[in-house]
Amino acid sequence: MSTYPTEPLKCWNKAKELREKFYEDYATAKDKGGLRWMGSAWAFDAVPRGLGKDVYTITGEPYGASCAFNRPLSAEFLKATENYGFARDLCSYMRNYWGSILVNKYAFGGEHPKPDFAWTQHICCSHGKWYQNACELEGGDVPLYVVDVGAGAYPPFEPIYEHRIKYVADQLLDGIEWLEKVTGRTFDDELFLEAVWNDVRSTSKWAEICMLNRAVPVPLDEKSIYALYVFGTLEKSNGEFADFYDELYDEVEDRVARGISAVGNEKLRWMSDTQPPWGFLNTYRYMELWGAVSIGSLYTYGLTGIWLYDDKTHDLLPRPLPPEKPGTREEGCTMLADWHLSKPQYQHFYSPKYKIEMMDAIAKNWKVDGIILHYNRGCEGLSIGIAESRLGLIDKGHKVMTYEGNMGDASEFDETATLKRIDIFLETLGLQKPVMGLHEPVVRHEETLRQ
Amino acid sequence: MAIEKFQEWYENRHEYQRDWKERTGGKIVGYFCTYVPEEIFYAFDVLPVRILGSHQMQDVTEPHLFGMFCPFCRDVLAQGLKGKYDYLDGIMIAQSCIQLRQAYSSWEINKNPGWSHYLPMPNHVQSPRAVPFLLGEYEILIKKLEDLTGKKITDSDLQRGIEIMNNARRVMKEIYEFRKQESPPITGVESMYMACSQFFTDAREWLPVAEEVKKELQTRKLDRDPGKRLLLVGSENDEIEFIEMVETLGERESVGATVVVEEHCTTTRYFWDEVKDSASDPLTAIAERYVARVPCPTKDWPERTRLKQISQLAKDFNVDGAIVIQQKFCDPHETDIPFVRKHLEDNEIPTYFLEFDVTTAVGPFAIRVEAFLETLEAEADLF
Amino acid sequence: MIVSGIDCGAKNTKTVIMNNGEVIGKGSVLTGFDQQEAVHGSLDIALKSAGLAQGDIEKFAGTGSGMKSVDVADCMVNDIKAMAKAANYFYPKCRTVTDVGAEEGRAVKIDENGAVVDFAINEKCAAGAGAFIEAMCRALELSIEEIGPLALTSDKTIPMNAQCAIFAESEVVGLIHAKTEVKDISKSIHDAMASRIVSMIRRLGVNEDVAMLGGVGKNPGFVEAMRRELKLEHIFIPDEPEFGPALGAAIVASEEA
Repeated sequence: MSTYPTEPLKCWNKAKELREKFYEDYATAKDKGGLRWMGSAWAFDAVPRGLGKDVYTITGEPYGASCAFNRPLSAEFLKATENYGFARDLCSYMRNYWGSILVNKYAFGGEHPKPDFAWTQHICCSHGKWYQNACELEGGDVPLYVVDVGAGAYPPFEPIYEHRIKYVADQLLDGIEWLEKVTGRTFDDELFLEAVWNDVRSTSKWAEICMLNRAVPVPLDEKSIYALYVFGTLEKSNGEFADFYDELYDEVEDRVARGISAVGNEKLRWMSDTQPPWGFLNTYRYMELWGAVSIGSLYTYGLTGIWLYDDKTHDLLPRPLPPEKPGTREEGCTMLADWHLSKPQYQHFYSPKYKIEMMDAIAKNWKVDGIILHYNRGCEGLSIGIAESRLGLIDKGHKVMTYEGNMGDASEFDETATLKRIDIFLETLGLQKPVMGLHEPVVRHEETLRQ
Repeated sequence: MAIEKFQEWYENRHEYQRDWKERTGGKIVGYFCTYVPEEIFYAFDVLPVRILGSHQMQDVTEPHLFGMFCPFCRDVLAQGLKGKYDYLDGIMIAQSCIQLRQAYSSWEINKNPGWSHYLPMPNHVQSPRAVPFLLGEYEILIKKLEDLTGKKITDSDLQRGIEIMNNARRVMKEIYEFRKQESPPITGVESMYMACSQFFTDAREWLPVAEEVKKELQTRKLDRDPGKRLLLVGSENDEIEFIEMVETLGERESVGATVVVEEHCTTTRYFWDEVKDSASDPLTAIAERYVARVPCPTKDWPERTRLKQISQLAKDFNVDGAIVIQQKFCDPHETDIPFVRKHLEDNEIPTYFLEFDVTTAVGPFAIRVEAFLETLEAEADLF
Repeated sequence: MIVSGIDCGAKNTKTVIMNNGEVIGKGSVLTGFDQQEAVHGSLDIALKSAGLAQGDIEKFAGTGSGMKSVDVADCMVNDIKAMAKAANYFYPKCRTVTDVGAEEGRAVKIDENGAVVDFAINEKCAAGAGAFIEAMCRALELSIEEIGPLALTSDKTIPMNAQCAIFAESEVVGLIHAKTEVKDISKSIHDAMASRIVSMIRRLGVNEDVAMLGGVGKNPGFVEAMRRELKLEHIFIPDEPEFGPALGAAIVASEEA
């Protein structure tokens, strides 16, 4: 029973093509004499772009998620990693990634493509270690550079200190020299500065797109958002991706104008936190049968988008674009450092209080009725302070449910028990279970794979 | 014997600290990670005391800290939530691992400790950019300590702080030299009490006792068979009960052991490196020390420099084998462990791996360690 | 109005029949492998005790982990709601209720009407389920009826690793070999389990009065350990607390009629 009109996204197929081309470009990079590098989704991908137009990347977190989405393949990777001697409670993206190297399989077909170098950043305990170990597993001859971004929280949470921005910017400058040394290529500042601006505009645009989700009914549901926010995790500085976000913005703006809904029977809006259990996105579709739609989360909004928390209006707003494009290498590095340090998903590394304010701001301004926190055993970084977040959000008057699971290890997610909890929670929020005899309305994982 | 004082301090840390406050009228700040620059606290005449857990089960942290974070950080948070440290004037952390920083932030949110400070200790310690960044952070810390104490410090105060900490570190290293002997006059348990008692007390009051112990050790003879010489590799491990079990196995079984050295942040990673060349710029010298010291795995990249320290200790202390202790859910160490084990094996040091929790499963562990020691015995018999 | 609630649990299936808010019949059987058979077996006993036939029941409600097998049910009630309703029925002043089934420990915060305000279910690797006590019984060679009262005779506190039930079991073996008295081990086990459940309850905040449902309510060792951990004078436990959820389901059946 639909209350609102719905339409599939026009740019859905284009998104799929862009993603597939990206994964293929990485695999075939060497065929065209290009370079390829591995690193975190939060690595400053604008920098390697200064090495030329034929530089390709695979970023570890989306790759880990893609592995997890394919449960049998993921199980193979995780087993290999465990057999090597790594503990099972380590970051599950990392374990999938290492397994992919050990088993020598690329999640998108063929053998695991060996990178020429590793370029990443370090915020959670695992980031630097992830690629340190990956380089070892690749044979020990893949050079590694890590940029430390653990430089404190950003305003309004803490004052801005010049030495913090400089620390990150200087590491980037040193990194550029390092890249020239290990690749033998001369760094092209023009390409670099173009990439910097693409990083800034794509992440800014993503935030603008998420602002459109304040509309009732919501034009984008979180499950669909996962297929779209991913561009900002694959390569923020990619011009094609930045252009795609411009296109997407126009389409979503149009949907809002015409009252097009992501989910026709939207009765209740909820918000999530941390990565979802990637092998079980059917739980989102299950909740939609109840009329409960996730409008997104600080995770999907803030992982790709750059926002600033306004403590006067208690709102989360897209960070305004810098007034000018960077003109020199130093300006480019400084702009990147400053822009990235303001990332919403970095702030809770310093205190859960900052995250509570941002999540509450989203809940209030995006008109959220309930919050579901995924106590994600697979990611220490984004689960930091999650228990205090729960208490803080309850204190602010929200209805909060939690469930334990793992974004990248299916063996740590109990689908039956979680669906049961969801039932209880949605009932306490006043929804009624969709009537389908005495049998559970099951949405299988395989059906969601076809989407 | 002076050496018994260490155990007394370890077991009565709260009584000591409360008494210190009363006696001196000074301020005490509890800290959560060995990257906190104690030199600066001593410069302000503020007593820095490290907060460890109590190895007891508790049920107060569940609402505040997700159970998948290590038992150590939950044990530490429980000390705060249970009011054991209500006499502190403040708390501080220098960031290293994610787990422990949650103990700090939950403590800060729920206990209102008065004064608190989070120092973003740089992770890229292998970069020349780390020291200038850390200096910037030290300036912020110094301002906060000025607020706490109403004092301002000079370079001479910093020199004083450096001397206090360097003296303590030096004496501990000198005492560790005794453990290189064939029949060490100090056990692993006693060494653990020594290291822990230093960061639970005022280093200035601790030092004379340690100097006395150093004298005593010159003639001390222990009535025990040292057995196999063991290296313990771990994260934060003040597992007195475990070490005691290992070191008394020889009384019950055919093979015994002595823990002769450790590579973890309760002992050697905490005190091994001194502040150097502080004459002209003590603050920079302090920053350099913390950046260059044996690192926590979270900061040990792109090179894994810890491995060298581990095998060097193994060699210098002539160990027969190593026990790799893994604190359950300790991610930083878990990423290193396969390589640590391989490195030890490449250096012909047999290793055994054990996973630890808050309480020690002494019974099952005894069986495992005994079996490991027997394999060392069997190998020795081959030659 | 005559209604019935059937709780098909992992270990036992229990039925309660109520007439206008009064309990008139009860039945319980082991669930075993055939859940449907257990449902009907339990219902038959309850009907017999009430002197009724199945057709006399106007509305059925099913609850428990096997509630899908309650084929006679007109409505399904989740465990949390069933617990909440039952606690409110027995103790209108109750605001926190806990229940430990064979495979799950649960806690619910309720309001004055028995509506669910917040809830918690024990997460993985927690020695906070009934199966833990049963495993310990096997290790100590005691029956489930013996182990509880035995704990009350001890005044020692031996800490136990309660993070993992498997670790705890090997610790018990260690204690046995160290010649620790069985009564002290028993107390230690109950303390460990209570610690896990109380940890969970603390997530909701301890709101007095606290009620306990489920078979564990008949284990005096566990009840005493809970009371001590929660620092309460009293925990409210109805007679035959194992029928709590079934009764809660029956109440929901009457409300939805």
